[in-house]
Amino acid sequence: MTAITTRDLVKTYGPTRALDRLDLTVNTGEIHGFLGPNGAGKSTTIRVLLGLVRADSGRAELLGGDPWADATELHRRLAYVPGDVELWPNLTGGEVIDLLGRLRGGLDETRRAELVERFQLDPTKKGRTYSKGNRQKVALVAAFAADVELLVLDEPTSGLDPLMEAVFQEVVAEMRAAGRTVLLSSHILAQVERLADRVSIIRQGRIVQAGTLAELRHLTRTTVEAETATPVTGLAALPGVHGAESGRGRVRFSVDAEHLDGAIKHVGAFGIRALTSHPPSLEELMLRHYGNGAAA
Amino acid sequence: MTTTAVRRRTAAASGGGTLTGTCAMVRLALRRDRVKLPAWTLGITLFLPYFAAVAARTNSTPEALATSAEMLDAPMLRLFSGPMFGMENPTTLGYLVNAYFPEFLLGAALMNMLLVARHTRIEEQSGRAELVRAAVVGRHAALTAALLVAVITNVVLALLLTAAALGVGMTVSGALLFGAATAAMGLVFAAVTAVSAQLTEQARAAAGIAGGVLAVVWLLRAVGAVQDGWLTWTSPMGWAQLTRVAGDGRWWPLALPVLLSAALTAVAYALSGRRDLGAGLVASRPGRARAARGLRSLLALAFRLQRASFLWWGGSLLAAGLVFGGLAGSMSESMAEEFLGGGPDVMGGYLSLMAVGMVFLVGIFTVLTATRLRTEERRGRVAPLLATPTGRWAWLGSSLLATGLAAVALLAISGLSMGVGAATVLDDAALGALAAGAVLARIPEILFLLGVAATLFGFAPRGAALAWAVLALGAVIRFWGADLPGWVRSLSPFDHIPRMPVEDFSLAPLVVLTALAAGLLLIGLYGFRRRDLDGA
Repeated sequence: MTAITTRDLVKTYGPTRALDRLDLTVNTGEIHGFLGPNGAGKSTTIRVLLGLVRADSGRAELLGGDPWADATELHRRLAYVPGDVELWPNLTGGEVIDLLGRLRGGLDETRRAELVERFQLDPTKKGRTYSKGNRQKVALVAAFAADVELLVLDEPTSGLDPLMEAVFQEVVAEMRAAGRTVLLSSHILAQVERLADRVSIIRQGRIVQAGTLAELRHLTRTTVEAETATPVTGLAALPGVHGAESGRGRVRFSVDAEHLDGAIKHVGAFGIRALTSHPPSLEELMLRHYGNGAAA
Repeated sequence: MTTTAVRRRTAAASGGGTLTGTCAMVRLALRRDRVKLPAWTLGITLFLPYFAAVAARTNSTPEALATSAEMLDAPMLRLFSGPMFGMENPTTLGYLVNAYFPEFLLGAALMNMLLVARHTRIEEQSGRAELVRAAVVGRHAALTAALLVAVITNVVLALLLTAAALGVGMTVSGALLFGAATAAMGLVFAAVTAVSAQLTEQARAAAGIAGGVLAVVWLLRAVGAVQDGWLTWTSPMGWAQLTRVAGDGRWWPLALPVLLSAALTAVAYALSGRRDLGAGLVASRPGRARAARGLRSLLALAFRLQRASFLWWGGSLLAAGLVFGGLAGSMSESMAEEFLGGGPDVMGGYLSLMAVGMVFLVGIFTVLTATRLRTEERRGRVAPLLATPTGRWAWLGSSLLATGLAAVALLAISGLSMGVGAATVLDDAALGALAAGAVLARIPEILFLLGVAATLFGFAPRGAALAWAVLALGAVIRFWGADLPGWVRSLSPFDHIPRMPVEDFSLAPLVVLTALAAGLLLIGLYGFRRRDLDGA
């Protein structure tokens, strides 16, 4: 069962090719991470899927319907959070949540109250007085309180502080437990890693990688820094280790995910005093695999 | 002279350091407005030769000139043109100045209001001011820069108008006075807007306050001119006209606008020093935690979004209607007997003219509200609505319906209040129905205008502002286009419905205009359904 399928989707804006034969598949009931650098075409894809924009060519199917022709019917079954939420300056957050819920045919009152509480949102403030993060919360509460099958979230946590980001992750996990499908677009690999069942990576309007996180593991290379009791030797000879540098009791190297275990065991023999590791950022990953144009 | 007055004021009102960066801000403003300011100043100036040509043609014979001069002195025309000077021995130039001076004064006021609002409150509301203020820029630099640019612009306008006035044959002293008086009026409204920009957080409200002041200033001068009394002296617009440009020309009344501008500027600085960036003097209050029961459809949302603006417009038009209606008394007494032998025709002529004026005012509301749809779309407020199970027809249809109903309600308010005013003053209840009918018969014109806005929104959203052009050309053709060929006049949607009660009612133009309006609305809806949504 698939919730979203697109084939050869093309959308151009003048000379810019925003979507270039995009193939995206999202299975029902999964959290699908939609990853890509800024300007790669994530928002354009979502706008096509919501029927806000019409693709020049190609096919798109959403919840079994045509996103353009059946927009109204399909929207009964989905909720959307844009990456940059704009509110009406003279309407309060509470009013906007209620309005969006009623337009969708009603929202879950208990859930609404609970979400307002969990996201620590003051619903009595006027739209123009909210900070960016708080505007984002208004849209999140409205979407999560809706009784829908599919959640389309376009970089939904931009502007949220780490505490609220954690609440967001909890709620999304609950959504999966309740059997909902989530399309989560982001340019932060770590966020998607924590939540997503499957991931699609988009670059310059095309999907360049798609699969489960395990399948994509080969793409990730962890950077390790360690302080050891005795100087580390023989590291560079290990499989999967790149760019090892050492000196004055410290060592720094990056290692492919499948060889992480061996490398750490090797370093452990020299007496680890301190250890830090950094997951690769999406930008590093794109840069490594697709050359310089990727991070643009 | 005006320049030094404002400079001295700014220096006195602010401590050292708060003006840092003013020069750079002035250059930024001039750079940003490199098209707008020349367009405004030249646009205003070009009306002088045009009006001169119109005045020359309509007054080609001494007899025609004499009649024009007499008409101009009648209360109905004094309402618009103001007090009359230097027409003891009528000349075409005298007629030109007396008849058309107010248009230049209003143009200058509008230009200054928009200019100062653009560089003060709009910048703050958009958040760009924060970026600027975080740099090495003093607290009062933005306000000072906006006012300096206004002063520069007004000086340029004064010089251009002087040149144009010399070009149409005015004396050097008369031409200079004409330019200076117009610039002085502009300066007052730059200062008025500088104050209003400090009062509220929203640029729209700040502009609304300044617009309200302009309306009051116009009204004081209008009533003052009709009653030939001291009220004219209470209005900055009156001051400009009391310089007697076409008569014996006197400069001293211009001290009043200069002093007033200085005082208002001082108030603006005092207020500005007392508030936070981005804040108004009136803090935002918390609102409802839950939406009212009624807010459950797009139509309800559309009404809610235009509610505040509708209430302001309704209140203003109610007041204006009562005043215009009340002035009907002055019309009938003098003019009727002197020129047209009395009778209901004079009253009818006056009421029908005011009805046309009211329609253009409601037209401003209509275009303002309709073009806001584009802002909603571009700001990304439409996408979340369309991502709910509501179709595009429903959203655009509800918005247009709400605007259309509000516009019709405003027309009804104008017509009825004018009717009540006239009926009360003249103790003739029939006038009430006459005035209301004269306004309500023009509903199709407003619907047509709304249709134009809808079509533009659906098919050429970037050209949404063209709806303003239709309204503006309609007004120019209606009020100043008597000389234009018939086919040009017939292009305007505002020149087909009979001017009741002077002209007989005829159903055909109403039906045709309504049908065209319906067609345009449908075309707009169709276009919006098939185009991409823009914005964030």
